[in-house]
Amino acid sequence: MTMKGRRYALLLGLGLLLLFLLTARQTFAALGEPVDSIESDRESLTAVRGAMTTHRDYTVHEIKTDSTLIREYVSPAGIVFAIAWNGVAYPDLTELLGSYAGEYQDALRQTPRIKGRRQLQVKTNRVVVEKWGHIRDLKGRAYAPDLIPPGVSIDAIK
Amino acid sequence: MQSNRALQFFWVLALAAGCVACGGGDSSSGGGTAPSAPVVTGDNVLAITVNGSLCSSNSYINKPCVSVTICSPATSTCQTIDDILLDTGDSGLRIFKQALGVSLTQVTSGGNPVAECIQYADGSSVWGPVKTAGVVLGNEPAVQVPIHVIDSTFGTAPPACSGAYRTPAEAGYNGSLGVSFFAQDCGTTCAGGPTGIYYTCSGATCTGAPVALPIQVQNPVALLPVDNNGVIVQLPGVPSGGSPSASGYLVLGIGTRSNNVPSGVTAYAADTDGNLTTSFNGSSYTGFLDTGSNGLFFPSALPNCASPDSAWYCPASTQDLSATNKGASGSPSGVVSFQIANFETLLASPANNVFDDIGGDNTNFDWGIPFHLGRNVYIGIEGKASSLGSGFYWAY
Repeated sequence: MTMKGRRYALLLGLGLLLLFLLTARQTFAALGEPVDSIESDRESLTAVRGAMTTHRDYTVHEIKTDSTLIREYVSPAGIVFAIAWNGVAYPDLTELLGSYAGEYQDALRQTPRIKGRRQLQVKTNRVVVEKWGHIRDLKGRAYAPDLIPPGVSIDAIK
Repeated sequence: MQSNRALQFFWVLALAAGCVACGGGDSSSGGGTAPSAPVVTGDNVLAITVNGSLCSSNSYINKPCVSVTICSPATSTCQTIDDILLDTGDSGLRIFKQALGVSLTQVTSGGNPVAECIQYADGSSVWGPVKTAGVVLGNEPAVQVPIHVIDSTFGTAPPACSGAYRTPAEAGYNGSLGVSFFAQDCGTTCAGGPTGIYYTCSGATCTGAPVALPIQVQNPVALLPVDNNGVIVQLPGVPSGGSPSASGYLVLGIGTRSNNVPSGVTAYAADTDGNLTTSFNGSSYTGFLDTGSNGLFFPSALPNCASPDSAWYCPASTQDLSATNKGASGSPSGVVSFQIANFETLLASPANNVFDDIGGDNTNFDWGIPFHLGRNVYIGIEGKASSLGSGFYWAY
């Protein structure tokens, strides 16, 4: 390969790396990801960051949108293991579920709607998504059971 | 508990016997009587049938239906539509386009048509334009009010409503009448900024937008000239094995006429999100009363039924349970006793559709139709006063 060819290859490589980083940043989502991804959720949801509260076995980071308050539960290892939300509308779960979004959508399609209910649970092998509540107070949570730190109860996620 | 139950059954039988001419029975019923609430008359009264004559024939169980008259705004061109779900967990009238035969006036904001995407907690949604209609409840004067026309083909639905109901058959009703204690379905949050609920449309493109309170979908009761401070849902008890249908009343106004004076009830104030607190088995949950829910849905270790009924509880024997409801400020506090029977055993009787002892798993405490059977439940609208207090509250 000529010198020029090598330079093109290098540039192409750098370009691909940059493209990868950019798209990775845009599709970064919270569940199962490092705590840094909360920043990208905040950006993609046009939200403002709210309070951070520290508990014995985890921390909770709040993100506020115009319609919803989102809480991201972060393990001592810095991984988002659960997300909860409440507000007048549901947040876009595609962004918040990240790498779990595809299997959630597949499982959702398989979950029959039961008329008369105000509740939904969608389970896959790796993630549980639950919605409940009523008008003006739509609540929900998503968690990856395998990522929940020891000693943390699912009841804490709400 | 057992003797209460027996007494209730006796009462129901006595009422049914004295009420043979009242109608509301289900002619196709294979077993038992169709219980009716004590007769209430007046211009402020709408009949409710749980299943029965006001519901479509293939309705799901424990479905409360009313009929509503809807008119072209400020005209006498009207139609009456039945199979309207009575939903005290929502505010405003929502009607499928397919059920509408009168023309309504599109609501606009900044010159553009307003549309709405409503998401429900079961993952379903409804989408369509907001239009002004003349709505007649009982024999009350018509109120001119923005309603939600359910039309999945209107413009381009946002992602949250991409799977919105297309037909009455898909949803299980022609529409729903929301008479919760909220005067509008969304309120100040939606007036302040785009929330994913209200949109304005330019051509087929609909964009999230703030929408002022008066042009949001309104609880029509709050706009009545006199009976505007709340409603009473009055439903009869049913026998423990269930009933083909049950008949009751939606009475408009609280203490505004001789037929809606509160008696023997305790008021529980709700918080601004529309919840009270329910304690059960040593834990505390947000709780709410909702005729749009067809069971008692709450967290419990009771066994679920086998698939496909796994959303319901199937204990080996009927369970006597109790929970405590508290007003938003921590008082008052009152114990509610209830029963959960085996769903599959009850449903083995195909003639019956109305049950006061069915439930399933949930994350909060949802007091649905079984709670309302055998009770008069008062709902006080926000900002309006009655002898029970100032809304929002439930009283029973």
